Amino acid sequence: MTELLVKNAYVIDPLNGIRGEVMDIAVRDGWIVESVHDGAEVIDARGCLTLPGGIDSHTHICGTKVNFGRYMMPEDMRAGRTERRGVMHSTSGYSVPTTYGNSYRYCAMGYTSVLEGAMAPLEARHTHEEFAATPLQDTMANTLFDGNWPVMEAVRDRDVKRAAAIVAWTLAAVKGFAIKLTNPGGSECWGWGKNVKCIREMVPHFEVSPAEIIETLIRANELLRLPHSVHLHCNNLGVPGNYQCTIGSMDLAPDLNPDRQSLYLTHVQFHAYGGTSWKDICLKAEPVAHAVNRKPQVTIDMGQMMFGKTTTMTADGPMEFNLYRLHHNKWSNHDVELETVSGIIPVYYSRTSIVNCVMWAIGLELALLVSNPWRCLLATDNPNGCPFIRYPEIIALLMSRRYRDEELRSLVSEAMSQIILPSLDREFDWHDIPVMTRAGQARALGIRSIGKGHLGLGAEADIAIYPLRVDETDPSRQYRDVIRAFQKTSWTVKRGRPVARDGEILDPGINKTIWVKPKVPDSYDMGKDPEFALNFDRYYTVRMSNYPVQELYLQRSLCMESEAHL
Amino acid sequence: MKVILSAKPRKNPFIPVEAETIIPARFLEPADTLTVAVGNRTRPLTDVFDMAIEGTATDAAGVEVVLRGDTSRVKRVGEYMEAGKIRVEGDIGMHCGNFMKGGEIEILGSADGWLGREMRGGRILCHGNASHYCGSGYRGEKHGMRGGVLEVKGHAGDFTAEYLAGGDVIIHGNCGDMPGVEMKGGSLTIAGSCSRPCGNMTGGTCTILGRVTGMLPTFRRTGTVTREPGGVILTRFEGDVANRGKGTLFIRDWQYTL
Ligand SMILES: [Zn+2]
Repeated sequence: MTELLVKNAYVIDPLNGIRGEVMDIAVRDGWIVESVHDGAEVIDARGCLTLPGGIDSHTHICGTKVNFGRYMMPEDMRAGRTERRGVMHSTSGYSVPTTYGNSYRYCAMGYTSVLEGAMAPLEARHTHEEFAATPLQDTMANTLFDGNWPVMEAVRDRDVKRAAAIVAWTLAAVKGFAIKLTNPGGSECWGWGKNVKCIREMVPHFEVSPAEIIETLIRANELLRLPHSVHLHCNNLGVPGNYQCTIGSMDLAPDLNPDRQSLYLTHVQFHAYGGTSWKDICLKAEPVAHAVNRKPQVTIDMGQMMFGKTTTMTADGPMEFNLYRLHHNKWSNHDVELETVSGIIPVYYSRTSIVNCVMWAIGLELALLVSNPWRCLLATDNPNGCPFIRYPEIIALLMSRRYRDEELRSLVSEAMSQIILPSLDREFDWHDIPVMTRAGQARALGIRSIGKGHLGLGAEADIAIYPLRVDETDPSRQYRDVIRAFQKTSWTVKRGRPVARDGEILDPGINKTIWVKPKVPDSYDMGKDPEFALNFDRYYTVRMSNYPVQELYLQRSLCMESEAHL
Repeated sequence: MKVILSAKPRKNPFIPVEAETIIPARFLEPADTLTVAVGNRTRPLTDVFDMAIEGTATDAAGVEVVLRGDTSRVKRVGEYMEAGKIRVEGDIGMHCGNFMKGGEIEILGSADGWLGREMRGGRILCHGNASHYCGSGYRGEKHGMRGGVLEVKGHAGDFTAEYLAGGDVIIHGNCGDMPGVEMKGGSLTIAGSCSRPCGNMTGGTCTILGRVTGMLPTFRRTGTVTREPGGVILTRFEGDVANRGKGTLFIRDWQYTL
């Protein structure tokens, strides 16, 4: 039995309605309990801000695509090197760091759980191997179904239950957490050098539209009773005029789940552009935010872009090709058999580019215009908008109008005419920020039930203590102090163990991987379906029996089982 | 000043030594500040080499470093060097002369991979053979060698002068597959033969006096020139057309099959 007592913590815990109370947190064997014995290890929080461990609901840190980003960018690997020290491995990389680099940097910021935004099922082993080397965060993987042949056939046949059965088999086989649709239908088109331009356009050979894929999989998701909803990267990412497609996709979300959204739209900043080309691109954060406000079945994350160097990587292959034609720098393009595609290019977001200034403003406008912070979460599609180490700056921008005004002065004047940011007075408070960085994520991902995102009794003891006194800090004026505090916790506690102190990692850590296994009736077990097996062996380069990821690959595994309604 | 470094016999000579510390300028400092990595452990330079110093110098240009004994697993010698001379009496390990800006490296034996990688200036002369990626960029890098002269008396491996952006690469023997691939500037001269040269080339000049196999069909023939001395007739090509490239190739003899 190991016990820990965090004393004098100034706790904000939105899921339990605690809006700033000084209290003690008792921990036994990794879980929050009523009280502990006298001999327990003590951490004195000295009245500093104490939050549940941070949760990133959309980030790219593990898997083939991320690793290829490392491989093609030696200049990125040369940045941010640290030597082996104490329990820490050596690290390198800035926008696509080594797995340990990601893990230590997240940990120093108080993040204890992360969702990898896109895992191709066929390449799941690689993702799980890198999860094992991301030891200080519990991990989950969005699993790509955007161009999945058997799923598209089921969608064409209007057979929601079969689509659900295929998803159930695949998620359990590859130890995935949720359904991810990246540019649904578009990835299959990209195999033919094409793309889909709107959600009603047909995918060649399958005769299904993105809208049908989205709708069918939302229903399948709820039939399977998965913890998270469908996680959607809308069609036409980064294309001027795409905001209508984004709003159209939101309108597809039915009202099927009382506990959370039915559709999660990720990195919406990249999907809120007006205009017809890069020359007349304009901001459409307002109509998109209003659509979110009107549609309670939808939750979004910001996909904030920050100025500087980074790497873009996504399963949206055609979009990466367009970016390559724009920048003529390095480009990688990848096909994953009958599942999906991907692309990678490095970028530099510049304050002198009108397009980049517009992108920066859209992310912030979205967050400020969505009235309920539970429904617009803080993320940057790391590293696409910027590396996650810049979250503290985004927190400060949301909390301080003065900081925003200061940043606005550095933008090119041509961009200013259409930006409404200067007129937005809203400043997020100490309660909103934990909502947007952990509590909202726990609710949206459906992982509150396993003790994530809160500090109540029975919660997993993932705790972040920041060197900041809420009563002595005016975030509107002291935004530099806010940035500094969120960059480095005084203490990060993971499953009851102090793992970081003032940014120094204290514990090698062992994480767990959270995955789902929907229980389906025998007649819907795709492992026994002759047609599925026949097509699998006909079209894949691997045998169906070699496809599932053995549990051996998961260091510690937490399987969330559900009773499917098929 | 002459610094003679004689490699001590090692219990396991296969463990690589990372010795970016071996550049002339560093030997103006006290010897006890010099360390190398042997595998994953940091060791004083004098654990790996016996060091003898003759004479004195006031600047790096006045320093000559001589490496003796088995240095075939000693990597990164001459990395970032700006002046002075390094003379390797045997073979040298990978990444010799990385990012070198000035001075001279002479290798009497052969060099392992990545000789003169992303070199910016100075001169490297290798009397033996050079392995793969000689004068190239690192994997994923957009620029290879940018300046200086890199001369190999023997043969060179695959991807010689990949992403070459400036300077001169001269190979007296043969090259392997794909020399000058993605080349964008500078000059590459191969006295011997090679296969599939200069794919995706956008600029610079490549001259091949031996025989080319697997010649790429995406180069346009634009005439002949006579090269002195000897009056060798070379065919001139431009390309790589597939990449809208404006590079120039001079080739004596070629076939399109491999
Ligand atoms: Zn993403």
